[in-house]
Amino acid sequence: MLNDVTFGQYYPVNSFVHRLDPRFKLIALIAYIVMLFVANNFYALAACALLLVCAVIASRVPIGSVLRSVKGIIFILIFTGALNIFFHSGQTVYWQWGIFKVTLEGIIFTVFLVFRLFFLVMASSVLTLTTTPVALTDGIESLLKPLTFIKFPVHELALIMSIALRFIPTLIDETNRIISAQKARGADFESGNIFKRIKAMVPILIPLLISAFRRAEELGDAMDARCYSGSKNRTKYKKLRFGWRDLVAFLFVGALIAGVILFNIYCFDIYPQIYQYIKVT
Amino acid sequence: MEDIIICENLKYSYPGQNGFAVNGVSFTVGRGEFISVIGHNGSGKSTLARLINGLLEPDEGKLTVLGMDVNEGKNAIEVRRHVGVVFQNPDNQMVASVVEDDIAFGPENIGVEREEIGRRIDWALSAVGMEKYRYATPARLSGGQKQRIAVAGVLAIKPDVLILDESTAMLDPRGRKEVIDVVRKLNKEEGMTIILITHFMEEALLADRTIVMNRGEIVLTGTPEQIFKQGEALQTYNLSLPRISVIAGNLRAAGMEIGNVLKPEELADEILKNFNNRGIYAGQSSYPAAAEAQNPGDWDVEIKNLTFTYSKKSPFATKALNGINLRISDGDFFGIIGHTGSGKSTLVQHLNALIKLPQAEKKYHKPKAKKGMPAPVLPSLTVGKFDLADKKTDFKALRASVGMVFQYPEYQLFAETVFADVAFGLKNFNKKLSAEEVERAVKDSLEIVGLNYEEVKDKSPFDLSGGQKRRVAIAGVIVTRPHILILDEPAAGLDPKGKSEIMELLHKLHREWCKTVIIVSHDMDEVAENCNKVAVISNGEVFACDSPANLFARANELTALGLDVPLTTKISTRIAQNGIIIHSDCTVKDFSDKVIELYGGGKNA
Repeated sequence: MLNDVTFGQYYPVNSFVHRLDPRFKLIALIAYIVMLFVANNFYALAACALLLVCAVIASRVPIGSVLRSVKGIIFILIFTGALNIFFHSGQTVYWQWGIFKVTLEGIIFTVFLVFRLFFLVMASSVLTLTTTPVALTDGIESLLKPLTFIKFPVHELALIMSIALRFIPTLIDETNRIISAQKARGADFESGNIFKRIKAMVPILIPLLISAFRRAEELGDAMDARCYSGSKNRTKYKKLRFGWRDLVAFLFVGALIAGVILFNIYCFDIYPQIYQYIKVT
Repeated sequence: MEDIIICENLKYSYPGQNGFAVNGVSFTVGRGEFISVIGHNGSGKSTLARLINGLLEPDEGKLTVLGMDVNEGKNAIEVRRHVGVVFQNPDNQMVASVVEDDIAFGPENIGVEREEIGRRIDWALSAVGMEKYRYATPARLSGGQKQRIAVAGVLAIKPDVLILDESTAMLDPRGRKEVIDVVRKLNKEEGMTIILITHFMEEALLADRTIVMNRGEIVLTGTPEQIFKQGEALQTYNLSLPRISVIAGNLRAAGMEIGNVLKPEELADEILKNFNNRGIYAGQSSYPAAAEAQNPGDWDVEIKNLTFTYSKKSPFATKALNGINLRISDGDFFGIIGHTGSGKSTLVQHLNALIKLPQAEKKYHKPKAKKGMPAPVLPSLTVGKFDLADKKTDFKALRASVGMVFQYPEYQLFAETVFADVAFGLKNFNKKLSAEEVERAVKDSLEIVGLNYEEVKDKSPFDLSGGQKRRVAIAGVIVTRPHILILDEPAAGLDPKGKSEIMELLHKLHREWCKTVIIVSHDMDEVAENCNKVAVISNGEVFACDSPANLFARANELTALGLDVPLTTKISTRIAQNGIIIHSDCTVKDFSDKVIELYGGGKNA
């Protein structure tokens, strides 16, 4: 049962990573993902891995919780891996059967790709595990601020996100209550074919929809009564501030960017003998 | 006193509706006044609140707030800065997921400077006593706490008038008291003008002045003492008297001299005065009735060692039940009371296996016995002949025999017609019924809940009134003729008349339809008045399980748990301090009878 649990993945401990500015974390994640795709050799990929390990350790989230988020994409990893290993072109052919062939370049590329996706998902989940949805919303709003100049409704968008986040737990509670109530009246949601199951959802969805509309109406009144009249002449209480932690973390991310670029340029010189196994083509 | 609100012959009708919701209302409110407004559902109280706040524009009449004519130009918006409204449902008033952000919403809207907003948040939180929750998530607060945050959110705009539009209707007694205490403090210490719209007569008593509304008009106005003296007049407006006035009335009718009282202590003192006049200084009323021996019935509920934890294995794990042992006998009108969050709702959901015992889950494996550790105690639960710890139990048959009506059941209606909604459960449980059998069962159950079958069967359930919707929802549960009927807060959110009608209905069902009725409630008076046996749940454990008379004799222990006691207990406790014991079953009627009996037996009679 989904009861009284924060939705999303947020893992409530107080760590270095938790206390970073959400804007910084968002930018850092984007930078990290770009670096993952810029990297074209295993040295650079190892640098990415190192930063990820540092981030996970500094976040004090149990490694199991971080890995759990990867579970969802295992199928995608296997599928893309299989596709690449059999179809990637290359000179050193180990095995061939019709259009399927396994090459050295293919194997290297596949291993690289799988790690790249793996790190990408891990890094994103470090963000969602250490940042509350509310902080994320604040961060996104703040980052989008410049768009107000081209009349993009940043404030309205942020308010919609904030209200949505606010009502998710309320609506989950409500859904659970309705499910229980209909179950008590003998409703069966677990058996029958797909059409039967969809039909069985009607007694849940209709009350839920009606309730959502009722809530929306009441919320509208409450907002009116609290003098809401759009973004005009509105002040903002919350201000995000960069702190020393952000500076420290910034140095780490900066080091990663420098590292990845340097490895990309000089990866031949480090160990020329194994160069062909390191570079991804 | 400066008149802060002046209404002159206000009229308002909702578009598409016949008749005026507010029909020619005139009154004034002075600065710093505390006014309570009472009236049955649909009497126009809430419409009035929306007019004063500028959310609605009057069709006719003149409304002046702080010298501004609300009908003129942009005044309607300006008025909202001066008149704050707290609505009924605390969940539907908050925009942000962090308390301080939510309180900041109002001041942000009117363009208050950042630093000033910070100061206002400090002030508003301390005014409602919630300083500790500045960074909390509303979803994790209790109803009373949420509503106090809603009050703080309105206060941060610094209004001159605070309107509470049935803001306590959805709260438990503790939450209600929290909110009311805050409001009284604001009135006394900050000189805030208060308009309290409420269904609870006990709350209305706290005001300087009470306005009674009926069908859009003000029918009575005066101090609470003046209003509640007019017993019969109030009843014609579909309002009930506060219990204390009922008792006072009964005693007066028996020849006792009872002044105008609004507090239990005052009534106790009045009774003592009467006793003393008759020379009764110590003594006892009739002896308590001997406890009936209870024979085991076919549908007894037996709960042993029941524990339950929500979100096990997550960082949010919360223990809801902690070793419950309870027996509910066949034929009881059983009450389960406790604070919100005490585990009472979790407990009753076990009774029809909405929450299954761990042993009854498909994936259950017996835990291996660890050396040196005592064998784990497994919970057991039987309802009549059903063993809920057994995987093979026919849970569907169990659910047909144990009906469950959730809180606000009207929100679960979904079908196109009343008939289809009521028949839903019946058809789920028994797919082989013929059309005639279904029709007969639906007809019977709609009629027993007091609805006219021919009139409502083809209507959409959403076109019915609030009270009727609740009846339809109850009919949809009892249509399978369950032996045991469980209701979670059956009277929540209803006006006093609606409340007493629902309780009457439950007694009727108990007599004619369902042998055992179990109500989950936090209203002590409701439980004392209706149940023959009561279990008090506190922190996931059974604190006590007894008849109301025996249970409420332990008033001190209940108060120590932060629970309320019924009014009759409050009065008799005070009287007992003077050496006179009154043994009643805690109902208003029995209590009055016992006091009169003792009074009649006095020396000077």
